[in-house]
Amino acid sequence: MGIMDKARIYSPWLYHLHCGGCNGCDIETLAALDPRWDPERFGIQLVASPRHADILIATGCVPKQFIPMVKRVYDQVPEPKVVVAIGGCACGGSLFYNEDPDNYAILGSPDLLIPVDVYVPGCAPKPEAIINGIVQGILKLATKKKSAPAQKA
Amino acid sequence: MAPARIKILKEVLAHYSSPMTLNYPSSVDPNKKYSTIPEGLRGVPERDQEKCIGCEACARVCSGMATKIFDDEAEAKRLVQIFLFRCTFCQHCADECPTEAIKMSKKFEVATGNRTDPANYVDTTLDLLRCGNCGHTFYPRKYVDKANELLMQKINPLVKDVVETDFKKVQDYCPSCRRAFAYKFDTHTKKHVWLEGQ
Amino acid sequence: MVDVLFTAVTMLIMVPVALFAGILYVFLFRKLSARFQWRVGPIVRMYKDLAPLLGTSRILQPLYDILKLFGKDTPVPDISRKTIFVASPYLAFLCAFLAIFFIPFPGVPLLSTMEDSLVIASYLLIGAVMFTILGAASSGSPWGAIGARRDVEIFLIYEVGFVVALFSVGLVARSLSLWEIATRPGLPMLILNPFAAVLLFLVILGKLAIKPLDMAEAEAEIVAGPFTEYGGKHLALFQLMKAFLFYDMIALFITLFLGSALSSILWLPAYIIAVIVLLFFITVIQVLHPRFQIAKGMSWYGRWVLVFGLLTAIMVLVLRFYWVV
Repeated sequence: MGIMDKARIYSPWLYHLHCGGCNGCDIETLAALDPRWDPERFGIQLVASPRHADILIATGCVPKQFIPMVKRVYDQVPEPKVVVAIGGCACGGSLFYNEDPDNYAILGSPDLLIPVDVYVPGCAPKPEAIINGIVQGILKLATKKKSAPAQKA
Repeated sequence: MAPARIKILKEVLAHYSSPMTLNYPSSVDPNKKYSTIPEGLRGVPERDQEKCIGCEACARVCSGMATKIFDDEAEAKRLVQIFLFRCTFCQHCADECPTEAIKMSKKFEVATGNRTDPANYVDTTLDLLRCGNCGHTFYPRKYVDKANELLMQKINPLVKDVVETDFKKVQDYCPSCRRAFAYKFDTHTKKHVWLEGQ
Repeated sequence: MVDVLFTAVTMLIMVPVALFAGILYVFLFRKLSARFQWRVGPIVRMYKDLAPLLGTSRILQPLYDILKLFGKDTPVPDISRKTIFVASPYLAFLCAFLAIFFIPFPGVPLLSTMEDSLVIASYLLIGAVMFTILGAASSGSPWGAIGARRDVEIFLIYEVGFVVALFSVGLVARSLSLWEIATRPGLPMLILNPFAAVLLFLVILGKLAIKPLDMAEAEAEIVAGPFTEYGGKHLALFQLMKAFLFYDMIALFITLFLGSALSSILWLPAYIIAVIVLLFFITVIQVLHPRFQIAKGMSWYGRWVLVFGLLTAIMVLVLRFYWVV
């Protein structure tokens, strides 16, 4: 493992995208980042802009008005990136799952729009479960590569 | 202004060398790995394969639309499946199960990268009975046996023998055939008339 | 000839020394703020069962951050002015990087024997911030515009204090060369003119964006402020600039105000103790304060800078004309 792959494991930066939903998973995610479980021990930091991030944390179920924003934020995260979907709603829709695509409001889980790498089921998952999912995401990050030198807007 | 800052500074320096951080995900000290795991923590549901009778009660009360029933006509098998990604761990299925086959374990670290991993599904397969008349599958065998058992426990002892013989006549036919050919079965439908005479 | 060779060799050695010193200062800053918040911070001795996977120690955590950022894609927005946007991180980093050669290390002059090294160092440190502001303004995003504007407003206040503090020391020492200020015999400037030391400390708080004065790069309030549209290697250059700026400001403070104490044989313990005391005060102030609003912050900051600036000026007059040392 070269120095770059090691640096990717040693310093993963998170961006938290709230796709919709009841905020329960957001509260548990922010609880997983507080002094009790201190992920900064391992270099994990919450950053404010998606352009700074490695790991995109998607919580909640996507309403139809939010579809273009989810895609836009996903495009703004530079490669190599990993998406972690937290909560039952983000994994498969949970209460809002519908096989009939003509629901007027809710689309479903974000993985209908963006490729998700790690799923963390639960409602809401315990902060330990969230950190477990993030660590699995970090290990996947080491296997990803930068894209070809083309600059995106 | 300054006294407030001094007070905060004292509080800040008090815990300088004893942080409140847990060691998760390291297991070097098991006491400091997890935060409180209370008594009734609802983790992943687990189903006892022997006790499940395939009655569909859990699928009807599931709040996350996670439990679904899949019937295979050709092989006469019923699959009761919980998709853990959609489960909200609300325990409604465990509360409604008539044979108490579902129990919530204390497992909560179920993050995975693979959507099709078999560990994401809690599966139980049951055999279905085939109708003697039309050949379609209807109820699982265990469901019918359990219904019989519960019926025999609670029935009035005066009519017990009659009910037992009647049940044996109809148990191999699906509900639509039972309705369509009810006149052929020669069952005793008016048992209340018997009891009035006692 | 030997002089030039000696200077060149010491400058080459100074680069990794300044880099690791800057990284260590950022690490200590993060570790101390974490300890004050009852948590652990970047871990120094990793747990035994996680060590093969996650490394044995995270003392170099800021360096891992920078290396990781070099390995990522670099986005450039379409609506930005691309030339300035792409050039600003390099220029900002260059200014902070060149300033390390004009500030002497104890015993080693580097380039500070030049006659105006104080002026050159202060220009380079101003330039580092100016190119950040330029890059933010050219990024074409509203967050960058707000961040640039706030950065300019805070910059106007602390630069006045910066110039007053620096030139107060220059006036009393009767020289603008940092080497002569550093090797000046007699009492250290910290004792002669403590107001200038406090003034420079306040300027360090503004320059390094320590709470309560980090409203320019107000994380999550204006989505990362000036650095919103930067990613990949441009962001890595800005992080390097911040690490070098940390080293520069602390080294400048120690050179100006503790110079004569560092010429003695006990320079290393004195340097280390000075660094630790400065970092402690910087971290304590960061941990105790929330972020001020820009208007309130400017008036609060302006008052303190004005008061200590006037006191410094009076002290300089006293030292220069009445009590000549």
